[in-house]
This record gives sequence, C-alpha cells and structure tokens, in this order.
Amino acid sequence: MAKTKPPSYLPVDADECVGLDGFARTPYVDLLGAVTRMQKELPTLRRGAQDWFASRGVTFGVPDDGVAPIFPFDPIPRVIGASEWRGIHRALSQRAVALDHFVSDCYGAQRALRHGVVPGRLVYSSTGYLRDIVGVRPPRSTWCHVAGIDVVRVQGSFCVLEDNVRVPSGVAYALEARRAMEKLAPEWFATSAVRRIDEYTTRLRRILQRIAPRPWEAAIALLTPGSYNAAYYEHKLLAEEIGAILVEGNDLIVSEDEVYRRDSDGGVHHVDVIYSRVNSDWLDPLVFRSESMLGAPGIIEAWRRGNVAIANAPGTGVADDKAIYPYVPALIRYYLGEEPLMDNVPSFDLADPAQRAHVVAHFDKMVLKPVDASGGYDIHFGRLVSAAERGELIARIDSAPRQWLAQEEVELSRAICMDANGGLEGRAVDLRPFVLLDERPWISPGGLTRVAADPNQLVVNSSQGGGSKDTWVLSR
Amino acid sequence: MGAESLTFGVWHHTTLRYLDSVALSYNEVRMRPRDRGSQRTIAFSLLTNPAAVPRSRIDYFGNYVHRVDVTAPHEALEFVVDTVVENSEPRRRRLPMWSADILAGDPRLEYALPSRRVPLSATTRALWREWNGGDVSYDAVLATAERIPKELRYVTGATTVESSIDDLLAGGAGVCQDFTHLFLAMVRGAGWPARYVSGYLGPGGDQTFIEGQTHAWAEVCGADGRWLGLDPTHGGFTGVEHLRLAAGRDYSDVAPHRGLFYGTSEGVRPEVLVRVTRMSHQQVETVHRGVAVHWQQQQQQ
Repeated sequence: MAKTKPPSYLPVDADECVGLDGFARTPYVDLLGAVTRMQKELPTLRRGAQDWFASRGVTFGVPDDGVAPIFPFDPIPRVIGASEWRGIHRALSQRAVALDHFVSDCYGAQRALRHGVVPGRLVYSSTGYLRDIVGVRPPRSTWCHVAGIDVVRVQGSFCVLEDNVRVPSGVAYALEARRAMEKLAPEWFATSAVRRIDEYTTRLRRILQRIAPRPWEAAIALLTPGSYNAAYYEHKLLAEEIGAILVEGNDLIVSEDEVYRRDSDGGVHHVDVIYSRVNSDWLDPLVFRSESMLGAPGIIEAWRRGNVAIANAPGTGVADDKAIYPYVPALIRYYLGEEPLMDNVPSFDLADPAQRAHVVAHFDKMVLKPVDASGGYDIHFGRLVSAAERGELIARIDSAPRQWLAQEEVELSRAICMDANGGLEGRAVDLRPFVLLDERPWISPGGLTRVAADPNQLVVNSSQGGGSKDTWVLSR
Repeated sequence: MGAESLTFGVWHHTTLRYLDSVALSYNEVRMRPRDRGSQRTIAFSLLTNPAAVPRSRIDYFGNYVHRVDVTAPHEALEFVVDTVVENSEPRRRRLPMWSADILAGDPRLEYALPSRRVPLSATTRALWREWNGGDVSYDAVLATAERIPKELRYVTGATTVESSIDDLLAGGAGVCQDFTHLFLAMVRGAGWPARYVSGYLGPGGDQTFIEGQTHAWAEVCGADGRWLGLDPTHGGFTGVEHLRLAAGRDYSDVAPHRGLFYGTSEGVRPEVLVRVTRMSHQQVETVHRGVAVHWQQQQQQ
C-alpha cells in the first residue's frame, strides 16, 4: 500500500495516535481521517457534547455555589486495536484475580505474609486492613467485585500505574461519553468497528444479584456519601441503570442484624445487597470510627452474619494501599503461579532502607506520592522539586516512610486532543478499565480515558482539572 | 489445681450518664475474661439497665465482645458484671530474643509496630537509650518495667483516658494506662512484640477485698511465642492477683466500653466501680455448685 504524504496537521508529539513517520497509527487511520475531514466542526462537536452533559446533569466535582462543574470532555476518541486490547484484557483479569486472592488471604490465613511475599508490616500498618472483619467469608468468596486498574502506555507498551479496588469511580463518565459521541458523531462509528460498552450495567447488576442472600429477590441499594461527593452523578446514574435504590447512610436502619431502608413516605423495606460507594471504614460508625455519619451502625455485623451482601466487600482497601502496589507482581506469581502479563511502573518501598537509598540517589527520576491519598494531590516530581524543598520533602518522607510511595517517572503517551481554539494537540492520557469479578473476570471493552488538563500537565486526574474522552476498542 | 490457685469474685459496675436523654444507643463492651494460661472464668453474668439482650462474639484480638443495643429512650445506661475468676501464679521464664528476619514473617509482628495510642517516637527511643544504652535484651525489658514507676509518679487524675505518652512524660505523672503505653512504646522500639492488657487487680497479701478501678499492664512476647506479663505500674512481673480481661495493641483496642448514641445529649460521663474479693473455699464451692445445678437444668430442658 502506497503511503501518502504525512499530513502536516497531525501533532507529532501525540505518539499514541501518530507514528514516528508522521502517519496515523493503524487503529487510528479511519478515525483521524474522519476527524481531519471535519476539523472545522470540532468546536461545534465539543459544544454539543458539553450541552449534552449539561442537559443530563453529568458533573464531576464538589458543587461550588450549588452548581457542580460539568465534566470536561474532549471530542476526539481514543482508539485501542483489537489485539492490543486482548493483551490488556488478559493482564488485568490476571491482576484483578490476584488482588482478590490477596484480600481474601489478608482476612484469612495470611499465607503471603508468612511466606514473606508481602511484608507483614505493610499489611498490619495499612489503614485499609480492617481487623474487625478478619475471619469473615463474603458470599461466593469474592471481595473486589469492581476494580478500576489505571494503566498508562509507556514507550509503546502498557503498564499498571495504580490499583483501585475500594470504590473505583468513573464508569458512568465512560458510558455517557459514548452516548454523547454516538449521538453527535454517528458517522465516525460507521467506519470503525467499535465494541459496545453498555453491557456493563447489566453485568454489574447480575453480580450484585448473585451475591444476595436470596438471589431470586435481591433488593439492591446503592449507598452514596451524598450529593457533596465528587462522583454523586455517577451514583445516581448507576442506581438508575442497575435498578438500585439510591440511599445515604441515614436512610439505612439495622435491626436484629437485618438491614432496612426508610423511604420518603416512612415505609421500611428490606435491603439484601448494598453496592457501596462509601469507603468501607466509614460504613459502620460502631465498628470503625464513631464520627462517621455516612454509614449505619450494625451494618458490619449484618454483613458478617450473611444477612446483607456488600460490594465491594469491606476491607478491600488493604489491596488498594499504594504501599502494597510494588508487591503486586510478586502476588500474581505467588497466588496464580503465572508471570505477570503487565508490568508495574518501577516502584520503591520507602520503609526499606536499601530502596529508600536508591530513591534518594535517583531523586530526579522519581515521582513521590502519598499512599493513602487519591485525586492526584500532594504528588511530587523529583526533577521539579527545588533544592530547598528537596530536603524538606525527604525529611517528610523520613519521618513517615510508610506514608509514601516512590515510582520512577514515566512519560505517558499522548493522544490527539482538541485545543482551546479548535486546533489539534497532544496531551498525556491514561486509561482506567473496569474489571467486574465474579467466577471469572469480565472487563468492559475500553474504560475511562483521562486526559491531562493541558499539554504541559503531567498528572492525569479528574480532580486536577483533567478531562476525559471516549475510548474505543476495535473488534478487529 | 496447684496450691497457689486463688479464686476471685469481681463486681464491675459501669454507669453511663448522658447529659440529656438519648433516643437509642449502640454499645460494645469488653468485660468478659477469656480463659488463658493460668486463668479460668467459672461464672459470668452481664446485666444492663435498661434491660437489653447482649450478644457476644470474639474480636480480632481474641477478646469477648458483647453488643448491647438499647432502642428505647434513656438517660443513663448501667452495666453490671459479676465474674468469678480462678487464677494461679503465672510461670516466669526468660524470653528468648527475636531475630528481625523471623519476626518480619510472624503474625506477632503486629504487636511490635506502632499503634494509635503507642506511636514509636524519637522521644521514647531516646529514653530507652538513656536507660539501657544499646542493650535490647530481655534483661533490659525487665529493667525498663522496673524503672518506669521509679521515674514517674502515679497520680490519679494527673492524666485522662485520652492522654498521650508525651503528656505523661511532660507532666511526669500518670496512671496505669499511661505507664503501660509508655512501656509498650519503649519495648516495641527495641524490637519486642508487646501488647496492652486490661484487667483487674485483686487483693494481695492479707487483704481479702479491694475496691477501685480497672487496671492495665503489658505482655511481652518472646521468640518462642510465649507472652510474659509485666506490670510497669508496680515495676515487676504480674502475679496471681492480675486478672486479665482483654488484650490488644493499646487501650483503644480493649476499652471496656465503646459506644455511640443518637439524641441531643452532648456527652456522656462514665462512672466505673470495681470490687474484687478473694473468695473462701466455701464460697467457691457454692459457686461451683450453682454452676453445676444450672448445667443440670440446662441438660434436662
């Protein structure tokens, strides 16, 4: 096939979409052709998408003056080829299963700790390790029903940046992004064979029904921290689509170890399954911390006795702890007897003196992040830390090495995005596929692609002003 | 039963007085001892006022926990615990030292790590060095337990239940809870797993009766997995009169009462009274007979 002259309008730094030769990479050929043909209409498309989100109330963030901000959206989809997706699918299935085994092990025999696969000190000092549920077996022995595993493409191949198995959010934004694109640019879908993603909610509902104490009559409640939570929109949408009732902690009552919800008319209904979007250590103020108003006292005892199912099961935070992340490849080998199919970003446990010394010696190449924060806060790029601040940061780490994780800085791949003036530019992206775990894992083809707020931004996080774009997985 | 075995009757009365009426309250109490080592519980009863049906389970640290939910409005909540405990002098053996590698893969490592009320600070490490130099042996652990009551004054009311180790060191005075937390921080800093024990102190010597509060001390674990009781308030080993109630990483794991309530009351004032009596052989016989009769009745039903 004869190659045509490289189209000069493709931004060359968008390595995700454009090859070194300046041509669109294979999965992007059809899409970028369409995009460049209608480039003038892109601003209209983006406005259309923003209007669509506004009309459907798709917001992310905490309401400011009573109005939560609309989720920033880029109209040019990200494309992943069929064979590359198969690789991601296999790797993340493997990882989610291993993480689930790990949670199960932490609350069971703790074999991995005894055998030195993961240092016990990390588990015992993890805020995600909930002592009150040790010894509990959840229904179907599944803990991490929903996992969001963040992957980034580094020098062409994907690797794992972070595991989210507590309350991973973002799937509703992916679903809505697809709906917006199908409405606004249907012709783009005509030329590419894009896999559908709307099966997600059906799958999620099926999993929640299957873990119910009586699966044939599962009343599902989606427990949200409330309208001040950044992902409240998602809670509303998912509740609607999986047929769950949206509840807050003070709607729930526990009586005789059974969970009920009050409706607005004063009626009381039994609850069989809680899809919890509240961190598990906030679920039960009696068991975990007395100041929490987000859960209901007695929930944990009801769960322990098998009268209510909770997804994700309480306690999964132990596998979500960033300090455990460096050990996940070892956990895959240990539990599954397989080689990890996707690498970690090289990471260092700062409580280990040898690893800490390595980090200090290669400070410019490191990214330092707190283990128990989310939302991209308090992240430091070693090379950007001034000499004066460096000492201070190292002192902070030395005073609490358990609280920090060091990762080698990696250059994230860049995808073509629309800039403020309707031109094209490359911006860093990551990908959060959603893994549903039942007897075997199922992964929604695609996931949430997050885009850095501007071309110079290194952290890709919705709480840091980043946006998202539709993610296409091609079926061939 | 060895000749040194003694039987104690414990009466543990807790009253929670809410500053205003509360609509309902959920409570967790850790007031039932578990049989361990030389100690056996012969009889136990927990009554509450207003009446509620307590339900029990065993917690992570192996302690009995009773859940008491009071769903009617109340202004005060009383717990009355009657326990008969038999105990004998614990065996005292030297504890073999841990090697760091073995402890790293052992579940008891948990008790060598900092916990909520026992942070491992530079202050407690420095204090260990000042008292023991570089010695982290069993003898240094023992010396530390003996030295704490000599260096710090036992003053009731000098600290509160919320006080930290720093508060104790700054004021130079505290109670058994503070002494135990300090001791735990020091021995954990030296690499020994050690846990907090709440319990009762029975009458010693010729006394047959003692009235007061609950007591607290520590247990240190050796590399052979055995736990040895040390009382940093009295500066020595625990004895027959130390009656274990619950053990955990620090006070927050073993607090005899923990609860929450709904209502307008802004707080709660707990009043605790503990009475420990050494029982005569005759009294013990009566208890045993009572237990036997109860058991027979259960069988016949």
